[in-house]
Amino acid sequence: MLRWTLHRVGAGVALVWLVATVTFLLVSLAPGDFASRLNDPRIPPAARLRWRRQFGLDRPLPLRYASWLAAAATGDLGTSWTYKQDVTTVLAEVLPNTLMLTTLGLALEFIGGISLAIVQLRRPHGLGDRAITLATLGAYALPTFGVALGLIALLSYRLHLLPPSHMYSLEGELATGWQRAADLARHLVLPVTAIGVTGVGAVARYLRGSLLDERREQYVLAARARGCSQRRAIVRHALPNAILPLITMLGMSLPFLVSGSLVIEVVFSWPGMGQVMFNAALGRDLPLLLGGTIIATAAVVAGNFLADVAYAVADPRVRV
Amino acid sequence: MRADRRTHLAVAALIGVLALVSCRRPPERVAAEAPRDSAARGGQVIVAVGGDVTTLNEYQSSGDQTEADVIDLLFPMLMIEQPDYQLHPPSFAPRLATSWEFSSDNRTLTFHLRPEARWSDGVPITADDVRFTFLAQKDPTVGSLGMEMKDFIKDVEVVDPHTVRFHFTRVYPYQLMDANDGHIVPAHAWGRVPFAKWRTTDFARILVTGGPFRLAAHTPQQTIVLERDPLYWNAPRPNLDRLVMRVVPDMAAQLAQLFAGQVNLVQGVSPQEADRVKANKDLDLVEFPSRFWGMIGWNNRRLYFEDRRVRRALTLGINRKSLVDTVFRGHAKLSSGPILSSMWAFDRNLRQLPFDPAEAAALLAQAGWRDANGDGILEHNGHDFAFDLMYPSNNILRRQMALLIQADLARLGIKVRPTGVEFTSLLARTEAGDFDATLWGWVEGTRVDLTSAWSTPTPSQGSNNFIGYSNPDVDRLIAAAREEPDYTRSKVLFDRIQELIVDDQPATFLYESTQLVATSRRLHGADINSAALFFNVEEWAWGP
Repeated sequence: MLRWTLHRVGAGVALVWLVATVTFLLVSLAPGDFASRLNDPRIPPAARLRWRRQFGLDRPLPLRYASWLAAAATGDLGTSWTYKQDVTTVLAEVLPNTLMLTTLGLALEFIGGISLAIVQLRRPHGLGDRAITLATLGAYALPTFGVALGLIALLSYRLHLLPPSHMYSLEGELATGWQRAADLARHLVLPVTAIGVTGVGAVARYLRGSLLDERREQYVLAARARGCSQRRAIVRHALPNAILPLITMLGMSLPFLVSGSLVIEVVFSWPGMGQVMFNAALGRDLPLLLGGTIIATAAVVAGNFLADVAYAVADPRVRV
Repeated sequence: MRADRRTHLAVAALIGVLALVSCRRPPERVAAEAPRDSAARGGQVIVAVGGDVTTLNEYQSSGDQTEADVIDLLFPMLMIEQPDYQLHPPSFAPRLATSWEFSSDNRTLTFHLRPEARWSDGVPITADDVRFTFLAQKDPTVGSLGMEMKDFIKDVEVVDPHTVRFHFTRVYPYQLMDANDGHIVPAHAWGRVPFAKWRTTDFARILVTGGPFRLAAHTPQQTIVLERDPLYWNAPRPNLDRLVMRVVPDMAAQLAQLFAGQVNLVQGVSPQEADRVKANKDLDLVEFPSRFWGMIGWNNRRLYFEDRRVRRALTLGINRKSLVDTVFRGHAKLSSGPILSSMWAFDRNLRQLPFDPAEAAALLAQAGWRDANGDGILEHNGHDFAFDLMYPSNNILRRQMALLIQADLARLGIKVRPTGVEFTSLLARTEAGDFDATLWGWVEGTRVDLTSAWSTPTPSQGSNNFIGYSNPDVDRLIAAAREEPDYTRSKVLFDRIQELIVDDQPATFLYESTQLVATSRRLHGADINSAALFFNVEEWAWGP
């Protein structure tokens, strides 16, 4: 067990290094650098050359890579060129915002999907089952931004029920305590729904399929024969077995938790990782981009690891 | 890249959805009734901005517009540049300095400071702050973008707490502008941080300001709340209690929130949206000539564009007037030369090249471009006349221009391949000269100095003459004009320069666009002009 864990951790670290290195090379070799944007004629052209010297962009690539790696190995991700703050500080500011949004979105997706699948299984191929399948697949096929914009148009601009954007209203930002929390909750509803609604179809579909298989298994029949209700037989007996593919799905969703959804963040003016990373990529803010990449890759590694552990817990046939 | 595309789809879809809902007004705004004179004092205005500020220290800023606007509201300047550059080089109005005078040899400039000026913590703003600011601007470890503006200022001398003297190494036309460049920063608060540490310092933590507003709250990527500073020393003091910047990255969402009354001012309304704003009775559309203009930069070093007859033919072959009218829907005017038509130095007798395809074809033939093999494309020395026209891939207006140019030049037998390029890559390729032709645009400064854009590039100095234009006569005249202190005399030089550049057509000048700003009708007294969005912010009032 210890050996296995060490092996996995080692492989994980190697993967993070590999991804960060490839990112470093890709961004460094892409045309343009952080100083390129100083093309405004009101800024003297000499400023561009000066910035390149200051940020070390005029040094040879291997040297730049070596000094970045040496610092990163000691946990120093450097200073963001745009924000003039530690990369960790910048990321620590936006990561909680993204996590809040994506965790709730994923929770809605999974809880909603599981509940729907169970409801569908009450009368498979019945009217309700078909209607739910149609609706969830419809939602799954819709692009996230379409759902997001539809929700905003309807619930914000037509019915004036919920705010169309941002984490807080102006009053909420200046408020404290529960008032602030309530304001945040109101602002979370639309983006979380937009994430949840589009993903719920996939979860329901997966689970319905595997539940249909499990339902015909002899242990479910045996449970029914012992007088167990249909609902109980499914929820208590079939569900734990049918849920295995969802664990894999959940593990694969972890990077999304960290890196966020650019579309949702732009549409809802949500201050998260997606926007920060997108702008860092466009502005060639290398330290920030690498810091974010390292965190997202670490999340993938951790997600896979956790999914494997969860698998082992859920399925006694799998032993690590 | 995928995310990028999705964002664009999202924007496009949002415009569609909003078109459906925009005609409705939220009921609470109709109900708002207040006496007329309540507009006089108090209230807040919410301004939509595209991005957040990353630093409040001007000398660490990379010049982003929102950042520059916020810094301008928080920190004082010696003088305020006036938007009168149509008539003569811009004049200045007093601010921190009440008056100023040059010595008889014009090498020293003395400013008299307002004795009652205070920082937001109550400490007086003095000549020491002015000198400290100058030292920061000149310090290479600080790396301020405007460092070169101070090249000819040898020293700033503190005469007494309210008198400060600038010593110049030479006499030239823009001494006043260079002395004034940059906001004054607090020596007593920021002087404690060594210059070498400025690049990694979060100045929001040691913020002391000296403008009409002070920072009340800043939530990253969301909101910047400025409130009236009760200690502000200049009259008039602002009417508004608060000025709020709301970060809304998506332009379509900015407009949607304006229509819904959630923000009160949107800058940079696109020409396509102008009519929709005008039609709304709760909104005003302010339009004024911006200094943003655009052109096709021909890479003068490339085979096709070396010959000035060819470059002239390209301009003659493009229906520029129709292009500008189609793309900007009347919110831009045709540009004709290297100086904006709204500038004092513009030559009003400058001859425009007309749209004349026949003359264009004749010039191309003279230059040796003929369709010998009958494939519809001109050739010269075995090369087809076919080239890439580069534009920023996220810029819809420029894509439209590229397509119109393609169609016009196809009629002359020239094959244009419109090529969308990611913005930073486009900048890098332009800077490196790695392009055939580029749709290029920028905001012109109020200083008329053609050196960086039109003089022969000198690699060691850096240059913005990315198209590689070189004409020794133009170089000589530009150098002379930039030394000439009397602007009526430099005007003669500028007229000649414009004539020469228009003859050479190193670029095809296309448009000078107007800036469209949408505001709520409840905003009173705002004089939004090309000098600044917040030019007279003290007089803004929020009323019924």
